[in-house]
Parts: sequence; structure tokens; C-alpha cells
Amino acid sequence: MIQAPIHSDTTQEIGNDVDLAAVSFDVDGQQILHDITFKTNAARVGIVGRNGSGKSTLARILAGLITPTSGVVRVNGHNLAKDRRAALAEVGILFQNPDHQIIFPTVIEELSFGLTQTGQSDPDAAGMAQETLNQFNKSHWRDANISTLSQGQKHLVCLMSVVAMAPKLLILDEPFAGLDIPTKTQLNRYLSHYSGSLLHITHDPADLQSYDHLIWLDQGAVQETGPCDQLLKSYQEKMNLIGGQDDISDLSD
Amino acid sequence: MEKNVALIALFAALIAALGLIPKITLLSGIPITAQSMGIMLCGTVLGAKRGSLAVVLFLVLVAIGLPLLAGGRGGLGVFTTPWAGFLFGFPIAAFVTGLIVEKWRGPNLSVIAITASIIGGIGALYLVAVPYYMVMKPAGLSEALLTAMAPFMPGDLIKAVIAGLVTGALYKARPASVLSRANDS
Amino acid sequence: MISLTSPIRTRAHSWPAGLKLAGLCLSTVVLFFIKDLTAQVAIATVVATLYALPGRAFLAAGWRHLRGFWFFVLIVAIYHTAVGEIYEGAVILLRLLSAIALANLVTMTTKLTDMIKVVRFLAKPLTIFGLSSKILELSIALVIRLTPVLVEKGSLLSQSWRARSRRKTSWRIILPFTILALDDADYVAEALKARGGFTLLKEN
Repeated sequence: MIQAPIHSDTTQEIGNDVDLAAVSFDVDGQQILHDITFKTNAARVGIVGRNGSGKSTLARILAGLITPTSGVVRVNGHNLAKDRRAALAEVGILFQNPDHQIIFPTVIEELSFGLTQTGQSDPDAAGMAQETLNQFNKSHWRDANISTLSQGQKHLVCLMSVVAMAPKLLILDEPFAGLDIPTKTQLNRYLSHYSGSLLHITHDPADLQSYDHLIWLDQGAVQETGPCDQLLKSYQEKMNLIGGQDDISDLSD
Repeated sequence: MEKNVALIALFAALIAALGLIPKITLLSGIPITAQSMGIMLCGTVLGAKRGSLAVVLFLVLVAIGLPLLAGGRGGLGVFTTPWAGFLFGFPIAAFVTGLIVEKWRGPNLSVIAITASIIGGIGALYLVAVPYYMVMKPAGLSEALLTAMAPFMPGDLIKAVIAGLVTGALYKARPASVLSRANDS
Repeated sequence: MISLTSPIRTRAHSWPAGLKLAGLCLSTVVLFFIKDLTAQVAIATVVATLYALPGRAFLAAGWRHLRGFWFFVLIVAIYHTAVGEIYEGAVILLRLLSAIALANLVTMTTKLTDMIKVVRFLAKPLTIFGLSSKILELSIALVIRLTPVLVEKGSLLSQSWRARSRRKTSWRIILPFTILALDDADYVAEALKARGGFTLLKEN
């Protein structure tokens, strides 16, 4: 199993092929995603959009957790919704809220979990989990009780749990929302050393400094895609424009 | 006071949620779900009084017409069957389970909670449900044991073990949350 | 969270809930003592007709609900066939289905708010034990509000499991799930206190 180095001095980031063709997703008669088509193999991809634009659903479709109603999704050629074994090796996903994500009561158990699921024996999994802790300079966290950790620390545990499985592509669904500035900066720093590729979903442009490629979602459809820095500026302008309006009054029914 | 009401309401919601999240539901209709685990957890975590009140609240909500029983069932219909003894027995099960966990202050909470879940969540429950079935169906003892107990017992034993393990793990992670063990309960 | 009240309005929707419930209790008791198969068949037909009167959609909804009990029907049918008591088995099954159907008829034709009024009425004698009907109603509202929230959180935990595993979910998520419920109780208690709490509720 390839162990992706976390702190690489040469930030040799490898891109992964992400290919969506006419992907749509609806549930209970509501169309959440409509005809999404894009292709990228950039190492750092951002997905922006307002809350409710379908970003989280897209994240889950990319991770293979949800099957699209129509259309084809392939990551490095695999259909991750069908091929769960490939999914665990290709993709990892970090969700928004650690409290809705962490399953085990201690750090080492949480980190070992994914590793045992990919077929490692318990002692091997624990060993690899410990290695991940060491790489993050957190070896002393091994037996820590999750309930005693701060929010930022819990976010880091979630990150380490996914990184321990060394997926080639790491999908981040607004993983650092609500954290204070220093915590967010520190976590982003850990993230920047990831030598696999990142697909970062956020509504905050500040998270995507120096990313390669950007996809802008609006109301379940692709608004625009392109080089990140440039597109980010138009995104920010548009958001400021909408801020001057009052669509908060509109009811969804 | 607000804390008690909130806990009772949340655990009633927990029982409902355990029935609604597709977990161990085999085929929708076969009531082998995690829901009865919720009953046991009410007892082991909240203790006898709060635990049983949470279960009563849950039953009230089912009775007034909310589809909170595993499989999306609810309303008054479920209370008219001979198996309604299980429903009526649930609060008693939670009470007995909670009482055992509260009073038996041994070192290994997992073991105590498992035992309590078996004695309360299974023993006390069937002590109510089986006679109820015998009267209401009506049926003889052997029929009752065969049709009202045998299909559910193996699943219930597994659930009792899980409920006990979860309670023990909860106590290890956050002892203050296990109210059945709080000194002022 | 949607209740099982039928959106298809029938005449029974406007009848007082208390009367319907009393009628239901009476008919369930009477049903219990009828041991004749022909009578049970007749009763079952009447009940089915009652479901058919408000229209096809209502009948379909009622049938869907009844279908949920297939497991119990199967157990009884198998047992009685196995011991050769087919007549008694048929009587029992028809009685079972009629009773469930009549009870569900009341549920389908009674609004949630009307049911809560009945609960309030029945809870009055319990005020001796310190139960406040206002707190009971608040508790009912809380559960209705909070169940979908907990279900959502449970789904997220399942997703977190599924994202790292080949299995769909596991009993292991019950631990963090219980912790979430306990934490939510803290937040709810806080919110209740911040809006006056029960001292004000009692004064009103």
C-alpha cells in the first residue's frame, strides 16, 4: 500500500483524473444537481458556491457515497459508487462537522478504523495509525479521549483519519467552517503538505489561495470553471453583488 | 428541570431515530431493528425514572399518529394487536434496566449494563408481553412462546449486548453523561 | 415530521376525537368477543367499505398501512395452519386486521392537534403527580422537532462510516449517536432556560 508522505519538501503534487459527464441528482422530486459536466486533473481544485448550491451533494457523489440519478462520474477511471474497494484507495472525504464524523472514543481507534476496513490486521492498522500520528507530530495523542479535544483538535483527528488511508484524492467538504483564524490557518497548513490532490469545497474564497482550478456551482449547475485565481475574483464580485440584494426573503416552496 | 425535560425529549427522539435510520431492519416489516436498543439505552444511560418517561413520551407520540415505530408504523393500530404488550412493556423494561444500573454499583459498567439490558429489556419485557399476548390473541403458553418470543429473542440478545457495550464505552468517554451513575440520581 | 393523518378530508375529520376514540375502544372490545367467522368476514367487509368511501387514494393509503403488519399476519397464519386450527386462525386474523384497520381509521381522520387535545384531557388527573400538561405538550413538540435532526445526524455518521468502509453502517455509530443526543439535550435545555424556562411556563 502506498503511504503518501505528508510533509514533502518538494511539493510534488500529483493530480488525479476527475471526470463528470452530465451528472444529475434529484431526490424526492427536487433536483439538487443538474447536468454537471467537467473534467480536471489539477492537483488543487476548488469548488465554490453559495450554501444550497449543491456543493455537499457533489462532494458525496465524487466520493462515491451517493449514486447520481443520471450521468457518469469517474475518478481515475473508476466508478466509485459501484466499486467501493477502489473508492477507499482512490478517495478520502473530510466532512464539515467532526462531531458528526468521529465514530470511536479514542484517537488511535478512530485513525485505525479505515485501515482495518481496507484489510489491514488490527496490529498493522494500529501501527500505521501511529505512523500517521508521528508524521503530524501528534504521537502523544494516541490514547487521547475524543471528548477532551477542542474543536480544532477534533478537525485534525478527522484529517488524520482520512490521511492515514493515503487516498490519492482528498475531498474536503467545508472542513474548517466555524473555526477561529489561527486554528484554521494551522489546519490549512497541515493540508497544504498533502502530496495527493485536494478537492476543496467551500464558500469562503480565502481557503483557495493558490489553487489551480476552480469550479463555481450555482443552484445545482456549473456556473463557470477555469483557473482559480481569476475566477475567484469574479465569484467574489458576484457574491458582493448578491449581498446588496435581499434574496434571504425568498421562501423555498 | 429543563435539563430533565430536554433529556427525556431527546431520548424519545433517539428511540424514534433508531427506528428510522435503516440499520438492522431486515425487510421493512420484520421488526428487527435498533429501536429496542434505544429502550435499553434509555434505562442504562438515563436511569429508571427519566428512562421510562422517555419511553412513555415516545409511545404517546406513536399513539397520536406519528410514524415513529420501525418501518414507519404508528398511530393507534399498533396498540390493538396482541403484540401491543411489547409496547406497554417498553417503559417497564426501561425502568427495570435503569434500576439495575443505578443500584448495582460494580466496577465493570459494560457487564452490568448488558445484564441489566437482558433482565429489563428482555426479561421484564417478555414478562409483560407474553401474558398480554396470551390474553389478547388468545393463545396458550407454548404458542405464545413460539410466536411472540422466539422470533425476537435472538435479535434482542444481540441488542442487549450492544446496548451494554455502548453504555460502558460512554461511561469511559464521558462519565458525567451516564446519569444512571450520577450520585444524585 | 408528517403525521399519519390523511390529507384527504372525510366527514370523520370533523368528528370530535374523544368520541372517535371512545367508539374505537368499544368496537375493539366487541370485536374481541365475536368468534364467528361469518360475522368477522362481514365486519371486515364493512371496515374495508369505510376505507373505500373517501376514494381510491384513501383506500390505498389505508392498505399500505395495513401491509406493514405482514410479518405478524404471517406468523399467526403459519402457526394456525401448522396446528390445524384453521377456523380459529381465520377468525383471529380477520379480527386482528379489522381492529388495526379501525384504529388506523381514527388515526387517519384525526388531526394531530386534536389528538394532543385528548392527551391534554387524559393527562389532567396526572397533575396530582406533578405533571404539567403544558410541559407534556412542550415535550411532544420537542420530539417532533428533534427527531428529524437526530435522524440527519445519524445518517451523517453512517456516511462517515461508509466513506471508510465497505459496509453500509455499523452498530458502532450508536456511541457517537448517543453522545450527540446528550449534547443536544444540553443545548435544548439552555434554549429553554433562555426563553424563560419552566418557571414562567408555570406562572402562565
